[in-house]
Amino acid sequence: MQVLRGVPLLAGLFLSLAANADDVKVTVLDVNGMPVADVAVYAEAADPGMLPPPVGNAVMDQVDTRFDPHILIVQVGTEVRFPNSDVVAHHVYSFSSPNDFILPLYKGEAHPPVIFDTSGVVTLGCNIHDQMLGYILVVESNVFAKTDEHGVATLSVGSGSAASINIWSPRITRKNESLSRAISAELPGEIVFRLQEKLRPPHDSGQGALKWTDY
Amino acid sequence: MDRLLGNLALICAAVSSAAASAQPEQTSRHHFTIGADIAWVDASGHRSWTDGFVGKLRYDNNSDGLVLSRAFADYEGRVTDTLDAKLALEVYDDSLGSPLDFTEAYLEWRPVPRSANRYRLKLGAFYPRISLENTDAGWTSPYTLSSSTINTWVAEELRTVGIELSVSRRPQALGGAHQFGLQVALFWQNDPTGSLLAWKGWSAHDRQSRFGDELPLPPLPQIQPGMLFASQDPYVAPFREVDDRTGFYVNGEWQFGDRMLVRAMHYDNRADPVALENGQYGWTTKFDHIAAQASLPADFAAVLQWMRGSTMMGPFVNGAHMVDAEFDSKYLMLTKTLNAHRLSLRYDNFAIMQNDQTPQDDNRENGHVWTAAYRFDWSDELSFAAEWLSIRTRHFGWAYYGLDPTGTERQLQISARLRFSR
Repeated sequence: MQVLRGVPLLAGLFLSLAANADDVKVTVLDVNGMPVADVAVYAEAADPGMLPPPVGNAVMDQVDTRFDPHILIVQVGTEVRFPNSDVVAHHVYSFSSPNDFILPLYKGEAHPPVIFDTSGVVTLGCNIHDQMLGYILVVESNVFAKTDEHGVATLSVGSGSAASINIWSPRITRKNESLSRAISAELPGEIVFRLQEKLRPPHDSGQGALKWTDY
Repeated sequence: MDRLLGNLALICAAVSSAAASAQPEQTSRHHFTIGADIAWVDASGHRSWTDGFVGKLRYDNNSDGLVLSRAFADYEGRVTDTLDAKLALEVYDDSLGSPLDFTEAYLEWRPVPRSANRYRLKLGAFYPRISLENTDAGWTSPYTLSSSTINTWVAEELRTVGIELSVSRRPQALGGAHQFGLQVALFWQNDPTGSLLAWKGWSAHDRQSRFGDELPLPPLPQIQPGMLFASQDPYVAPFREVDDRTGFYVNGEWQFGDRMLVRAMHYDNRADPVALENGQYGWTTKFDHIAAQASLPADFAAVLQWMRGSTMMGPFVNGAHMVDAEFDSKYLMLTKTLNAHRLSLRYDNFAIMQNDQTPQDDNRENGHVWTAAYRFDWSDELSFAAEWLSIRTRHFGWAYYGLDPTGTERQLQISARLRFSR
């Protein structure tokens, strides 16, 4: 009995040597087993009502006629600022109901932030630069991250606070994919999402050898 | 050159005073790009068409040395949040028009999309949706200094003076990578289009015709006094209205992420081939155009365009209009970037066929162009480019001028390009 009880304890000790005991290492692999970067990973709260209010505000900037970051993850109720770091004006909009909005033509910090009150994906466009595309993922969670080039994101999940670990990316076609893992009382140290379908190409406006315009 | 520098100073003054007079909160409503390209040129070949002869390049022996290739000012203003105004002013130091004139001037209504469908409406004078090369400010190319034969002709003789409705569906916004677009345009003017192509042939250069330009024709036998087309001015004014008929084009597009774009267009200016007004004939010019570009691995990319059409002028005799030419051109370009460096290689193949039997008016030609270009972006404001171009032509009508119908023209350009935006 003593020995049996010691096994998880030992395992826990090993984990805590590598990382915090509450850390969940999430890895996203594509259909060929290759890591996928820039995938949103978040722990859905077990009781959204118990979530503390969002801390601070988030920033979705526009740099070199691109949304920066391409994907922003925020907790429901977060104020998002849209400063414009470009020389040119932008006219940012989204028709993603119910989080749709239009920021009138602006340059620099010229207007109040936008508050996103409902969870979901907010697809961003610019009415002046049709090639611009960005996403805000609004989640019932204050624990989220994006995968790095190794396809890995680490979430610090308080024990019992999360109901599931979820992933999202505009590149996932989402037909047969399982993008959510329920969490039982025992917090898993590592979760691997192995995607079953081919990914869409990444949005790489302004990169590569071609010049894209609206001509 | 002095006159040109004076004009340049004028533009700079106008732009800076316009920018300064705007209220701070309104500065975002105005966006200016001004630029100047200075080049060292070494050209060999026939006297240039810009000097009224048959040379297919913009430059010849007489222009060797330092030239001001262009100066330009692009203005984009927001009349309201969804109504844009665009003006493109081009400055040239040659005798084809006034030093300073417009290449484009239009209004565009851009309602904010409320669904995956996006609508745009253009009204004014603008380039039809053809070129995949001229994507930089001032309709310049990021790839080469001289345009392909197709886009050189677009710059010479094509401009839509009318209205274009664009509908595109961007399910990308809903998660898909595909995007579809359809553009329909109705236009007036642009009736003499095709004159220069039939009578001079294809060219390769970087000069864009402005609205008031008069483009010289070679000294064709049939436009001389007492000949068939003696009423033709010795120049073409491509953007005139001659017959009060409406032309149209329809263009379809498919885009896959930022990886691939495919375009297909049908164009018909529906001009009356027997109309003649103020020294300019109507030319019934129609063509089909397909174009594609694709990103390739390792920062390589490929761009290709293919245009095939016909142009007809004059009464119908012996089974054809007096000038009845078919034209065809295609190019493939490979380009590769490495940090701020870019290398591009392009091959053009062009031809003009003829159905008429009109004597002393042999417009048949065929040939090819090799273009190799290197570009280095020193900063956002300054870039350097070098381009070598060789154009091999067989043009039967050159015999009228005592020339060998077959010839190769070459041009080396080393260019510094300045750009300022605010």
